[in-house]
Amino acid sequence: MSIPTADHPATLETTTTRWHARSTSISDTVHQLSLIWSGAARESQAAPPSATERADAHGGVSPDEGRDVRIRMRTSVLTLVVVAQRPEIAERAMAIVNALASRHPSRAIVLSPGDPDGPTTFDAHIYAACHLSALSGGEVCTEEILVKTGGELSQHLATVVAPLLIHDLPVVLWWPGDPPFASRYFKDLAGASDGLLVDSGSFRDEGAAGLRGMAAAAGEGHSVHDIGWMRLSLWRELLAGLFDHPLLTGELSSARHLRIDFARPGSAVRISKAACFAGWLAAALNWRVAKPLRREPDSDRFTGAFRHGRRLIPIEFRPVKAGLGPSMQTAGSLVRVELELTRGRVVTRARVTRQADHLLATADWNGAQVTRRAGRLEPFEEAPFLAESLDRTAHDPVFEMALERAVELTGSM
Amino acid sequence: MVAGKAARPGMAKVKPAKPSAPESSPPAEAERPSSSPAARSRDALHVYRGDSPSMPENPLRAGTRLERIPQPCILVIFGATGDLAQRKILPAIYNLRRAGLLPPESAILGFARRDLSDGDYRELARKAIVAHSRVPLEEAIWSDFADSIHYQQGEFGDRPDFKVLEERLEQVDAARGTRGNRLYYLATPPSSYAEIAGNLGRVGLDRQQEGWARIVIEKPFGHDLASARALNDAVMRVFEESQVYRIDHYLGKETVRNLLVFRFGNGIFEPLWNRRYVDHVQITVGEDLGVEGRGEFYEQAGASRDILQNHMLQLLSLVAMEPPIAFEADALRDEKVRVLRAIDPDWTSARVRAQVVRGQYAAGWSADRKVVGYRAEPEIPPDSQVETFVALKLEVQNWRWADVPFYLRTGKRLPKRATEIAIHFKQPPLMLFRDASTNPEPNLLAMRIQPDEGILLRFAAKVPELGLDVRSVNMDFTYGTSFMKDAPEAYETLLLDAMLGDASLFTRADEVEAAWGIVSPIIDLWREWDEAQESGTGPSPEDLEGTLAEGSGTGICSYEAGTWGPTAAEVLLERDGRRWRRL
Repeated sequence: MSIPTADHPATLETTTTRWHARSTSISDTVHQLSLIWSGAARESQAAPPSATERADAHGGVSPDEGRDVRIRMRTSVLTLVVVAQRPEIAERAMAIVNALASRHPSRAIVLSPGDPDGPTTFDAHIYAACHLSALSGGEVCTEEILVKTGGELSQHLATVVAPLLIHDLPVVLWWPGDPPFASRYFKDLAGASDGLLVDSGSFRDEGAAGLRGMAAAAGEGHSVHDIGWMRLSLWRELLAGLFDHPLLTGELSSARHLRIDFARPGSAVRISKAACFAGWLAAALNWRVAKPLRREPDSDRFTGAFRHGRRLIPIEFRPVKAGLGPSMQTAGSLVRVELELTRGRVVTRARVTRQADHLLATADWNGAQVTRRAGRLEPFEEAPFLAESLDRTAHDPVFEMALERAVELTGSM
Repeated sequence: MVAGKAARPGMAKVKPAKPSAPESSPPAEAERPSSSPAARSRDALHVYRGDSPSMPENPLRAGTRLERIPQPCILVIFGATGDLAQRKILPAIYNLRRAGLLPPESAILGFARRDLSDGDYRELARKAIVAHSRVPLEEAIWSDFADSIHYQQGEFGDRPDFKVLEERLEQVDAARGTRGNRLYYLATPPSSYAEIAGNLGRVGLDRQQEGWARIVIEKPFGHDLASARALNDAVMRVFEESQVYRIDHYLGKETVRNLLVFRFGNGIFEPLWNRRYVDHVQITVGEDLGVEGRGEFYEQAGASRDILQNHMLQLLSLVAMEPPIAFEADALRDEKVRVLRAIDPDWTSARVRAQVVRGQYAAGWSADRKVVGYRAEPEIPPDSQVETFVALKLEVQNWRWADVPFYLRTGKRLPKRATEIAIHFKQPPLMLFRDASTNPEPNLLAMRIQPDEGILLRFAAKVPELGLDVRSVNMDFTYGTSFMKDAPEAYETLLLDAMLGDASLFTRADEVEAAWGIVSPIIDLWREWDEAQESGTGPSPEDLEGTLAEGSGTGICSYEAGTWGPTAAEVLLERDGRRWRRL
């Protein structure tokens, strides 16, 4: 049974009406959603005049003629499907989705699969909310469905999702953690989606298998977005910015060595971000993989090489114990990138270095610093990245090219 | 026009023309590009190429948020200590720097009469940013930014001062590496535009040799057709049209740019966008504020010059224009000018009386407070005849819009701040609803520009009961509110575009003149009538035949503050069997 409740916060800015229902089958879930919205429409039409007057008094669009009806609209722009393999991830995902509700009005389906060996169960909590802005008189309605499954059903989530998708709208699949790219389970869900959002920063082991999985998904036509890649944006922008300097732009074709230091807070050595960064440089500068990465014997260093024409460009990835705050506790976060370029006697060194919450980029030309840039890193939260990936559901060709090279580079791992 | 940064929704931004010099050729040892899908898709990427032949392409820029970063330049602000510079320009530049959208080599050179040192001007700029920036000043960014700010004292009309300016620019250029690029921003009273442009030309600062030189001019562009022509002539004796950026900050607003996406990005509306389906169009730019300390300025301008000639005619031309052949500055502006030229500029006295209403607010209530009338505002003469409200009917005489009236109204001290364009569609045949207790109203499509930008579609629906009761329902789409992104100020968008060499959101000389061609004759007639009134040779009864404002002769109509203008504005539509949309 759906239970409407209304929040009237102290602020006049927004009035939120919420509904909650629970169901134990998919058909009942669909039915409950239908009940919620038909009830919402009735409430809207029967709303006391004060509601409309309040909106009008604050500059909202009032109905013409005084006999119009304000209809409650679901301005959905997509269906977001989240696979949360642990309850705490489901909780976190629900909080993030809720925070983004007004920016991306959508139906969010958070799937929390339980023990596949237990009995088959289906338990859904349906939350719907309409946020009426007193300032604009506009109303945005959103839905969140938390589905907990158990038993064999946990292996068939695509069939759970299918009846709950909103017709015609894009479906974005967000899979926090380490998605099982090769599994049927993953492929079925990805197949029903238009876009895929993952975080290569949380892939298992070195992350090479995850990179291959992402590349395969991209190769099958999915628009793949990676939070790990998005976190590299500032690194890329700063390094690129150094080469806007007229003295340096022409040097880009004479790379000689690339070194990337990345964080290794514990025992885990994850190179997925470093590989994507190197892959981006390789794709942008037309370098080929000459020697795939391999771990140096008795060392945590990884070495390999790109080739540009006849020139070999050795690359080196070094894990470092960094003590730069909580975000640096994440294995694989970049700490420093150094690109050395030589042309005749001219030696150029471009560096981007992490310093607490910001990055510093400098370029030396024959030992003299010619340009310098800095940028502040975004807080270490997932919500802005989810928002960004929902903003851009199209393919990201630069990422896909970088990924292609990164997979070649880590091919032997 | 349109999307500025890559993150802007909608249409692709037009990039500056590809440099005429050879592209940086691939290195000799470069390998053949991959034939993979990802590699192939790279061909489709929009890579920003510098618009100077001396700037080779930076391949690492592709696909980054800052793909469209301008070349470093010196922004020369004339009137650097004035209100506009402090409230808008300095905060906008700071925010662009803060967002990483300007290269760190960029510099500011303030030019004004006050005798200040670089340090003094930096302090003034800091205070301006603290007071007016949409985001708080951050010390780390400020300390870097402050070094780029310089000041040069000078008189706008003094040629030797411009010679000194030229030398100073060369020094700053050499010290910061701005590659000879200069953006001159005229944040001065319009009376100084011509002499500043002239003096820039006399010392050769208009030349584009090593880098580019562009000049940004603020509205108003003249105060009538003759002065607009004179100003255009004065500026274009020195600068090419492609170097001139006439700023109308209204065009920097997100919704105005969205108008084109709405019209040309949606297949279902454009087929209806013509005389066959549209009954009439209403454009409203309402302000709830009074003159707010700008009395002296407003006395010279009035609603016609302040809003009608620029903002409203811009909105009209965007709504009525034909699809441009490309979203590129000149293609867009060509179409806008065609619309303005399709409006008959031949305003006879009778036509003005029958189609134009001017009003002035009297004392009244604005929301919850009592307000004085216009003539009691500071700096306003008690017998002022300046209009604070204007409503008029225009006809765009082309194949698409013949016989479709466009009703425009704008005013101060109206009940609310609201800018919108409403397309009223024709009434369908109603014989099916003879027995209905109410008839369906015609469909309406309203595009709200501000506040709460969005789109509203009104259509008829049957009330779910027995019988055939029909009601109008509003499907109201509000553009999502972003909690995580701050919308850039219009000035940020426009300054960045000027530095990038994208003139889509700026007004061209012929556009300005065409708009004045519509508004100037009306203002001239009003002046003649007022002079006649003063000299006691008021209009004869025959002269007043057909006038909208019964009882007020040809003079200005008074309206109570907090209302939607004088009654004559209602009469303007009632005569045609229509009424203003209630906002």
